[in-house]
Amino acid sequence: MAKHPQKPINLIKWFDPRNKSLGSWAFILNRITGLGLTLYLFLHLIMLGQLAGGPEAYDGFIALVKNPIFLAGELLVIAAAFIHGLNGIRIGITSFGIAGGKQKQLFIGLMTVAIIAIIYFAIRMFTH
Amino acid sequence: MTQTWSITYEIFRKKGSQAAHYDRFEMKVDPDEYVLDGIERIWAFHDRSLVFSHACHHSTCGACGMVVNGVEKLTCITPIRSVTKDGGVIRVEPMRNFPVISDLSVDMTVFYQRMESVGHQPVVSIAHEDSKGKFDPDDDLLRLSDCIECGLCISACPIALTTPAYLGPAVLAGAQQSGDLNLCVLELVDSENGAWRCHSAYECTEVCPSHVDPAWRIMDLRKKLVSRRIKKFFGVK
Amino acid sequence: MDKPQAIVIGAGFTGVAVAYDLAQRGIKVTVLERGPLVNGTSGRTHGLLHSGARYAVDDQESAIECIDENLVLRKIIPQVIEPNGGLFIALNESDMAYREAFIQGCADCHISIEELNPRQALTLEPNLNPKLITAFKVPDGTFDPLRLAMGFAASANTHGAEFHLFCEVQDFILDGMGNVKGVKYLDRSSNQINDINSDIVINAAGVWAGEVAALAGNIDLPIKPTPGVMVAYDQRLCQRVINRLNEPGDGDIIVPQRKMITVGTTSFEADNLDYIPVFDDQVQLMFDRGCELIPAIKHTKERGAFMASRPLLDSGTKGRSLTRTFKCFDHKESDNVDGLVTITGGKATTMRLMAEKTADLVCQKLGMHVPCQTAEIPILSYRKFHIAQTREVA
Ligand SMILES: Cc1cc2nc3c(=O)[nH]c(=O)nc-3n(C[C@H](O)[C@H](O)[C@H](O)COP(=O)(O)OP(=O)(O)OC[C@H]3O[C@@H](n4cnc5c(N)ncnc54)[C@H](O)[C@@H]3O)c2cc1C
Ligand code: HEM
Ligand code: SF4
Ligand code: FES
Repeated sequence: MAKHPQKPINLIKWFDPRNKSLGSWAFILNRITGLGLTLYLFLHLIMLGQLAGGPEAYDGFIALVKNPIFLAGELLVIAAAFIHGLNGIRIGITSFGIAGGKQKQLFIGLMTVAIIAIIYFAIRMFTH
Repeated sequence: MTQTWSITYEIFRKKGSQAAHYDRFEMKVDPDEYVLDGIERIWAFHDRSLVFSHACHHSTCGACGMVVNGVEKLTCITPIRSVTKDGGVIRVEPMRNFPVISDLSVDMTVFYQRMESVGHQPVVSIAHEDSKGKFDPDDDLLRLSDCIECGLCISACPIALTTPAYLGPAVLAGAQQSGDLNLCVLELVDSENGAWRCHSAYECTEVCPSHVDPAWRIMDLRKKLVSRRIKKFFGVK
Repeated sequence: MDKPQAIVIGAGFTGVAVAYDLAQRGIKVTVLERGPLVNGTSGRTHGLLHSGARYAVDDQESAIECIDENLVLRKIIPQVIEPNGGLFIALNESDMAYREAFIQGCADCHISIEELNPRQALTLEPNLNPKLITAFKVPDGTFDPLRLAMGFAASANTHGAEFHLFCEVQDFILDGMGNVKGVKYLDRSSNQINDINSDIVINAAGVWAGEVAALAGNIDLPIKPTPGVMVAYDQRLCQRVINRLNEPGDGDIIVPQRKMITVGTTSFEADNLDYIPVFDDQVQLMFDRGCELIPAIKHTKERGAFMASRPLLDSGTKGRSLTRTFKCFDHKESDNVDGLVTITGGKATTMRLMAEKTADLVCQKLGMHVPCQTAEIPILSYRKFHIAQTREVA
């Protein structure tokens, strides 16, 4: 068998949406949100670890969390979770050979749900 | 009736071990001509050293796949009008994810070998007309199958970009279409670099010029693989 | 003992079939092609596996070759063929006037035909012009041009033939007496000039065979390039090849292939062979003529339009009535240049036969006595074809 040249794996190209179709956007979005969520999980665990420092630490933490910048960050996490989760459902369904021909409509539909949910949470968080 | 446009072809060039670069050719074209016609004229009248692949000029052989302005196209049926405007540029590059022989030609040997090893049928029953599964065994008419083995889907696939070991859309679609999942084929497709490597970017179906819908076929193949595994688990033959 | 060496110039149908036949008979073959496989006329054919019926009245020699080879190709390379047969249909009185001659011609050439009434024909092919008066079933077929050539090339590969693509022959290497001893070629993928020696060179350069032969000295080949247009439409409107029952004319054949149909063709004379433009008026003509046979073409999108040039042999007459039959020239006899054989003319359908005759001549020149077996042995899967891996670097 002739050999493929071993090319340098060009990570950046994964995230290049130029000239790509909706399916690639979904793929890129899923990857970014997935990685984002994983990163968040680590941060989250570190934070939780610090809570073991007693009541002062807890109060300080709550104050920090009420900070609008932090809230915005939290909203990002919520957004990522919705986008990733709902898109993940789409991938799961189509991967089992269901609605494969309707993946674009599914994506648009689920992302609309995600956007509505994100807006709902944004309003709730910032009006409390 | 015919219009004339002035456009620039920007062509990827690579010879032997020399560094790759782009050559520009200013051309007068009829916008209803096909992208491949312009490339052939560049060879005939401007630069006899240009290497490119083509054969049938009507989308039945799959030899003329290239990346045109960033998108995979079968250049023999892509009208110039559809990829640029008067005064515009057409950037032509060889397909991605294949070894480049020279300029615009790539080596498809491994791809062909994979198509062979999954038993893709080059000739199918006419009743396959509804290519998504219906089958009428009474009919004895045959036709050449949909997949023209152009490789565009592999060029467009973000996973094929990650690893050359991934079989790729056309090959998995070929396994799905052949219907005969014998042990050799199963070993290939029911594996890390087979059907389970796909991440649902659907680029293959987007660029396929020949009604194959490889993404749908990969998903359908997964369904078949899962049901096989379930049956095997419960000991059903 | 070392195998005798042969160089084949051109990897069209003729070149790959010759390479296969020679390699099969035990000759070491190197094919030099300036483009990819089927770069020239072969890639761009209509794809009609002729039953011969088209020529049964005017050119029975061709017709007989076609039907014989049609049956051979169906047997040895079914992987690239839609074997569904074809119909000749009559739409008016002039067509009907051709009917008798057609029946007689097909009988003379042992082409099996069957007359159908309009209702039967329309049951088989519902999209035919409903005004048809009569129809004949013939054993036509469709082939995929690239894969037909790849199949032969793959079989040649297994017998040791090497295919060097993108290698343009620029000159011959001659001995002191003007005989051919090898060739000089430009490898376009590395821009290097190389040369190879051989015991014999076979010029299978199609319409370019005249240009190539002239490189060896004062050789004049009577080839008349006659291009024709073909137009592909985006729907499979028929399952069988549809022919107009009449004298061969413009746009009188519709060939189905995959999910398309291709209407062809025309015939005129061209000067520049390397690029033949597609003329709008000819495309329009194909559309009009195609609609006469299958009216639904009116509502079908054009998918592609293309040109190719026939390497017809000039027997003095002009245009379409030139004989379709091929000719093999031993330049030792015609021009006193030894070591060079030219094979040209013919059709895709007769590629194997052309190769057989050429290989017979080559073997005779090399003093070998090996029979041809290509009509019996199945061709390998076209996917087994591979280009030569090791390119000599000069
Ligand atoms: C419009 C049209 C429709 C046709 N339809 C049919 C059909 O339906 N059925 C059928 O049976 N036949 C058909 N034919 C006939 C058939 O296609 C040809 O007879 C056949 O393709 C000729 O093949 P070839 O190998 O001799 O020539 P080509 O295919 O032209 O091969 C010659 C090769 O030589 C190469 N070459 C040229 N110069 C050099 C050089 N200096 N160095 C290296 N290589 C060189 C070229 O690149 C080319 O690839 C059709 C022909 C035409 C024109
Ligand atoms: C609602 C729950 C979730 C669902 C349904 C879901 C679904 C999926 C699916 C189907 C994939 C595969 C995508 C592909 O094939 O390309 C995936 C990838 C991934 N997920 Fe999730 N996921 C969920 C929650 C999470 C969470 C909470 C995290 C982080 C902690 C996470 C991190 C990732 C990562 C890192 C990837 C890999 C990304 C990639 O390969 O592109 N997921 N997810
Ligand atoms: S599946 Fe479509 S894009 Fe892929 S090789 Fe086959 S025809 Fe080309
Ligand atoms: S040249 Fe055959 S598909 Fe384009």
